[in-house]
Amino acid sequence: MDQTAERLLGSANRLSRDPETEIDWDAPVGDGYGMSPEWSTLYGTPYWDELTEAQQRELTRHEAASVATTGIWFELILQQLILRDVYDKPARSAEFQWALTEIADECRHSIMFARATERLVEPAYRPPFVTRELGRMFKALASGESAYAAILVAEEVLDVMQRDWMRDRRVEPMVRTVNHIHVVEESRHMVFAREETRERLAGAGRARRWVSALVIAIAADMIVSSMVGRQVYVNLGLDADRAVREARRNEHHRSLLRTSCANLMDFLGSVGLLTPAAARVYRRTGLL
Amino acid sequence: MTFVISGECCSDASCVAVCPMNSIHPAPGEPGFGAGASLFIDPRTCIDCGACADICPVDAAQPADRAAPEDVERNAAYFAEREALEATDLDSWEPPAYQVWGRGPQRVLVVGAGPAGMYATRELLLRTTARITVVDRSEQLGGLVRFGVAPDHPCTKQIIGTFERIVRHPRVRWLPGTEAAALVQEYDAVIHAVGARRSRRLGIPGEEAACTAEDFVAWCNGRPGAALPVELVGPRAVVVGNGNVALDLARILLSDQLDTADVSQQVRRTLAASGIKQVVLLGRRGPGEAAYTESALQELLAIAGDRVELRYHARPTGWTPEGLTLDTGETIAAGNLFTAIGFEGQPVDGLPFDAARGIVPNVRGAVVDRPGHYVAGWIKRGARGGIGVNKACAQETVQTLVSASRGAASQGS
Repeated sequence: MDQTAERLLGSANRLSRDPETEIDWDAPVGDGYGMSPEWSTLYGTPYWDELTEAQQRELTRHEAASVATTGIWFELILQQLILRDVYDKPARSAEFQWALTEIADECRHSIMFARATERLVEPAYRPPFVTRELGRMFKALASGESAYAAILVAEEVLDVMQRDWMRDRRVEPMVRTVNHIHVVEESRHMVFAREETRERLAGAGRARRWVSALVIAIAADMIVSSMVGRQVYVNLGLDADRAVREARRNEHHRSLLRTSCANLMDFLGSVGLLTPAAARVYRRTGLL
Repeated sequence: MTFVISGECCSDASCVAVCPMNSIHPAPGEPGFGAGASLFIDPRTCIDCGACADICPVDAAQPADRAAPEDVERNAAYFAEREALEATDLDSWEPPAYQVWGRGPQRVLVVGAGPAGMYATRELLLRTTARITVVDRSEQLGGLVRFGVAPDHPCTKQIIGTFERIVRHPRVRWLPGTEAAALVQEYDAVIHAVGARRSRRLGIPGEEAACTAEDFVAWCNGRPGAALPVELVGPRAVVVGNGNVALDLARILLSDQLDTADVSQQVRRTLAASGIKQVVLLGRRGPGEAAYTESALQELLAIAGDRVELRYHARPTGWTPEGLTLDTGETIAAGNLFTAIGFEGQPVDGLPFDAARGIVPNVRGAVVDRPGHYVAGWIKRGARGGIGVNKACAQETVQTLVSASRGAASQGS
């Protein structure tokens, strides 16, 4: 573990990004897409085709802001999980120092996302009340592989989307930069989360593995389903009932989600966290 | 420090997709992808995050300080003449491409559980809601990964674990030891991923007494029913061919370290008792046209040293118990002749066949004049490219299959 942590610390030295100075927060924001339109929850549905191009673009900006808000919510959880985990670890160890580096990264990311959403759209988003309360419980209780694998799930889902958006010339340049900063730093976090998950699971019995697998799957469901909510459609003046209905049945979107989670599912499978019960949850959520 | 990719690279490009700095090349779509066997990491832009190593299915990506010096050098050399890509200039990245969802077929048959078939199955699971049946004549999945990859390359075989997870997916039905012909009617679409297992022939007198790469590798890997068709006779053997398979063959014949490899006692004993101490590797053309990769050659030379002799521009004309005769009249005295001059596909029942190229004629995977039938892997593009190259190949086929029942693909910006 310490070897990985040392390497990651070295990598952070080689390239850490500072959104504060790298992004010109005073520059005017253009009217680009907030995310690749293909990633919109409505893309590929009849409703999408009825929208004007301007509406479609506005929708992606609100969706991007909503996803970023979910990102902030989870980063808050994550910071606490890590802080609790390293609470009594020796401060001189590379693992401890890397953990704090990660927290610092996440802290900067949350501020970056907050500022970016503020500049992108008018209304502020927040995950639904129930999700927030369940998150409160999770961050107080989760530990070991449940904590690290849940971190991994959240990071990985977001990461693959952002890799697409950052490369997409149609997306607003500020959003592209924000996404790249996140992608670079998350790649280190995911390496760390995988390593921790593997380590914590070594020697875990079947019962514990079963419970952890299910907890992680449910956390994944919460994260994914809270990314874009009803409020997004309401704020745009759309028929929210219809939008929610069509988004829920949107196989195009489900296919994109499955594709982005393929590596994650491979990893969970390889460490024995894809139990039948967990797999059922992932299939319902649309990740498998 | 940076990361480097070793010669065991499978080129499935999963590392390209996770690299946050666009440091790994050639990427799919770039010149050179699928031609050589390896991908490379640009040491000028790698930030040492380790994402590539984490994702690599065959453990070929390693920290430079733990890798072999020649691997470090090869990675650096690949980029020597190329400009470093500035990852923070996001326009230097390829834009994303998207596939628009439609209904797609609901019942798909995949014939062949080798890399091409398994990557196609995986892609179908991701891109469609189809129920997929996978069949293979063999009782085991993995195809050439299991029975064609040299047994002293165990890392490459790790990818079988990924394949096993694919067939356990609830939407997949896996029928080992099954012939496809009887099933074809029941499906909306069929992907033939049957490979190209048969060795090409030299076409010289006496060749029937030689051993083909197909037979040798199947025997080494313990494929059920496979036997070595010749008796091994030392001290010298000739291997005709200049691809990686020929090099694998020469390396296994000369290796003193097979103890760590995944081979049976019987194979080990037979090789040890053969008395083969020297191998002549015969290229019919020059070193410039040789199909082997630099890393495979280095590996062979490291193991065999001066026990391997490389000869080029040599045309064999006949094989006798005395040895191999060349068109110059010279005879190379040897006890065994091995041929490793490539593989060719065999005709598939009910499908057209291009005998000259040894493939089923197709357009981006769709079999010409046979709606509902698709091909992937070596039977689609010829026996070229390593295991992972089949991933991009299978993706293209599935994209064609899915587009046939829906709108055109949507290109990103």
